[in-house]
Amino acid sequence: MRPLTEEETKTLFEKLAKYIGSNIKHLIDRSDETYCFRLHKDRVYYVSESIMRKAVSVGRDQLGSLGVCFGKMTKTGKFRLHITALDYLAQYAKHKMWVKPNGEMPFLYGNHVVKAHLGRVTEDTPEHQGVIVLNMSDVPLGFGVTARSTSDSRKLQPTDIVAFHQADIGEYLREEDTLF
Amino acid sequence: MDVSSALEAHQNKFKSIQVEKLVPVEFDLNLLAAFDSNAIDAQKLSSKKEEYLKGLNRDNAQLLFNEIFKLPVESTDAGLLAKLPSQTYILPREKPLPKEKPMTRWEKFAKTKGIQKHKKERMVFDEATGKYTPTWGYAGGKKDTTKDWLLEVPSNVDPMEDQYAKKREEKKERVDKNKKRQKRNEEEASATNKGMDPRQVKKKQLQEAIAVTKQSTASYGRFDKKIEGEQKMKGMKRQFAPNITDGKVEKQATLDILNKVVGKNGEVLNVTKAVRQHKKARK
Repeated sequence: MRPLTEEETKTLFEKLAKYIGSNIKHLIDRSDETYCFRLHKDRVYYVSESIMRKAVSVGRDQLGSLGVCFGKMTKTGKFRLHITALDYLAQYAKHKMWVKPNGEMPFLYGNHVVKAHLGRVTEDTPEHQGVIVLNMSDVPLGFGVTARSTSDSRKLQPTDIVAFHQADIGEYLREEDTLF
Repeated sequence: MDVSSALEAHQNKFKSIQVEKLVPVEFDLNLLAAFDSNAIDAQKLSSKKEEYLKGLNRDNAQLLFNEIFKLPVESTDAGLLAKLPSQTYILPREKPLPKEKPMTRWEKFAKTKGIQKHKKERMVFDEATGKYTPTWGYAGGKKDTTKDWLLEVPSNVDPMEDQYAKKREEKKERVDKNKKRQKRNEEEASATNKGMDPRQVKKKQLQEAIAVTKQSTASYGRFDKKIEGEQKMKGMKRQFAPNITDGKVEKQATLDILNKVVGKNGEVLNVTKAVRQHKKARK
């Protein structure tokens, strides 16, 4: 476990900014407790300082996980968000997309969101913007990237993709072994 | 008609061309410069600064012009021209003095042995031809024996050996050797100029070269045979911040990075939204 380098912090924030923009500062600057980002076995964890201090005494091999896993650093130096970060992303998301009840299961199985399943979407969402996918009762299901802007998606066919799947809560079952 | 009063009035309009100074002012007329070494009146300088300085300048300029008008004059097509004397003031050197060159190996050796350098004549009399030939350079120096039409074969060598090839080779060796020494002298000189020990510099260079060659195999030297007592090569060590530091400092550092990132792509102007709002407002 170690703090992120400046380069790593930058790549992490660039990815997070696609979903929550400048709201990242609410993750760092919290009133309740000091939180920090830590890297352990290529995974980035968002963890409170008190827990991090306790985890310091655990050996590198023995330490499985701590705090909330936000994602992992790939070997090419990119950052990949994991579904475990959804709680924080949904809380501060700038753009959201609601899917109809008949579209929930297809999305949870890892498919893209098609026009027919689109319930509603935040106004003026640009193209290729990170969005949080929720069901109609506002439960976050995962996140993705918009294929079209809000205005463009009106003209689409029902089978056309409106948002590309990135992560969904079905991964808690499908990728239990590698997720945390 | 009495014009003396009118003349006086006219003269009073202008300041006197006679200026009196306690210490005479020095001139370098070639540079059109005057050097006033008189003390400055501190009281006047503080009370009426501008006026005092202007007056001082006028007086000195007047003195300079007085001197210029004393010079011999030449009349040309362009008008009257004064002949300036030669320069007396010595301008200070612009660049620092050149550093003394470090001695070459030969110079050091010659110094310890007390070998003096003899100046050679540029042209020497060649008795064989009866002409003066240059000591060095074009058409000079020792005659090139590789171009002789006949060469004697010494009695103690193989008679079939090519004496011309031998001479050519010997000459090439001499040239190469001298080039090598020249290069060495240059390297040593550059090291001493930087204030380093040439031997230490050479040692460092060699060690770096060894480090490079050790890594220059397909496996980056991982499967190479190790020599007995070979030291392990030191690689680059990554440095990370300590895990536990002052929380505030770390927070501030992260916020600084965030400001850089978000300033770039976090809060971009949403053009479509802006256009729509503008349209709404106009309705």
